[in-house]
Amino acid sequence: MKENPDMNTNASNERIDELLNSYIDDELTVEQQAEVERLIDQDAKIAQRLRQLQKCQILVGSMPYAEAPPSVLEGVKASLADRSLPSEEQPAYEQQAGKKYVLLRKVLAAAAMITLAAVLSVVIHRFVAPKTAPDKPAARTVAASGFSGRLELKTSALNAVDAFIKSAIDDNGLSASINPERRQGRRIYSLDCTREGLHSLLDDLDNIWTELDSATLFVNTEIFGVQTVVDAVTTKQIAEIAGQDSSKRRIELAKDFAVLNNIAENLPDKEIRVAIEAGDSSLTQQWRIFKPVLTSNQKAVKKPADQVQEKQTVHLTIILDW
Amino acid sequence: MTEAANPDIRSRQVSNMRVTINDAVLIEQYRKGDSEAMERLVLKYQNRIYNVILKICADPDDAAELTQETFVKVIENLNKFEGRSGFYTWTFRIAVNLTLNYCQRNSRLAFRSLDAEQQQQDDSQVKQVLKDFLSDDSSPDPAAEVQSKELYRIAARTLMGLDEAHRAVIVLRDIEGMSYARIAEVLDIELGTVRSRLSRARSKMRDILEDILR
Repeated sequence: MKENPDMNTNASNERIDELLNSYIDDELTVEQQAEVERLIDQDAKIAQRLRQLQKCQILVGSMPYAEAPPSVLEGVKASLADRSLPSEEQPAYEQQAGKKYVLLRKVLAAAAMITLAAVLSVVIHRFVAPKTAPDKPAARTVAASGFSGRLELKTSALNAVDAFIKSAIDDNGLSASINPERRQGRRIYSLDCTREGLHSLLDDLDNIWTELDSATLFVNTEIFGVQTVVDAVTTKQIAEIAGQDSSKRRIELAKDFAVLNNIAENLPDKEIRVAIEAGDSSLTQQWRIFKPVLTSNQKAVKKPADQVQEKQTVHLTIILDW
Repeated sequence: MTEAANPDIRSRQVSNMRVTINDAVLIEQYRKGDSEAMERLVLKYQNRIYNVILKICADPDDAAELTQETFVKVIENLNKFEGRSGFYTWTFRIAVNLTLNYCQRNSRLAFRSLDAEQQQQDDSQVKQVLKDFLSDDSSPDPAAEVQSKELYRIAARTLMGLDEAHRAVIVLRDIEGMSYARIAEVLDIELGTVRSRLSRARSKMRDILEDILR
């Protein structure tokens, strides 16, 4: 089949136009820009076409900037006045389900509280329970590998959060251990540092946690390619996981946090969840979990110095995305 | 002229980056019951939204109404706003969708007003202004050139000669100064579509300008 030369010319012209427009709008890579500039230098027609397209851009771009009339704000204000504010909106118990509905919510909330209390007690016990001397010396296994994981942060305020992270990295003197990359709009930081360095950085990053849409931690296990995932992770949780001495403890703790966060996210009533976080409601007082204390002359077993100090390096890849 | 070389566009974009976190704070304050937070958001964006809508629909009264409608919709749907895109992008998406729907509903009206305007402006003075503008190959000085009312009218008329989809992409790029990626997000189209649509729109504009000269 013969090719139609007119069609080819049109397609070629369209392609050149697209390139020239992208050049005008500064949307080309450095290589593409150089290519376009070479074309402009060599071909007077293309140079002429570029000027024509620039004229179109200038013509539109320089139109006077119009300001909204006062009626816009007044209209929006009137609309706001007609509406109840989000915080004033009350659930319509009477219309929806009445007393049975309220009772069901209370039962569900109580059930969730009991589950949460059970999980919390397991987690807290794991932290503070007195340790007996291990059957076998554990120093070698502890030193086998430090924390390694990936932290995926999503935010609509990508540039602002990115700027904050960079600043936090500089403030904590971690610039040398960071390797920033940009891939398809994502920011990737590969961090190798001490636990203390990571803790200090996480303390700073806590300030922007409310700006994140999601924060997920992937903790590497000793099996290649297998990871434990903690959704809605907090900076304190990351620090605690990274602070564990053995891979096994890190995985166990990550799993606990994963369950805990999942329960917290799915509690049936937001007010109760807020109360739990605040820790001052009568409900939480009722279910308060006390720290286990030593009841005998037992002494907590101190870890040998080499067990704690030998391998303090951690690796964390932070991926910041839309 | 590239985007980077345009200080107005660049400062607007830098300002976008700086205010994003404040937007989130204002939204949170409004959700907690502070209605003034919403007023501050409206004040912050109303001129830019109005300006874009006006350039697409070409009627100041309709633009004011559509701007107001945009913010009312924003308030109504704020509980659905998940923050996946920025507030700025989300608000522009609502504004452009409302405006394009409005334009489609009122297309006959728009063409009639365009014809009337066209008759008034087909005079030799306008042609001369345009001819001077297009034939001047020297380094463009937009401030000096487009200050003339005639040239502004030509620009408005040329924009109205485009269909709504092409007009929207031109306005978002050349007036609001959005990047191609941001335009793709606002119009919910592929990046390649933005590229080709913008190219066709400028090419069509060029044809319209040449038609005016004939």
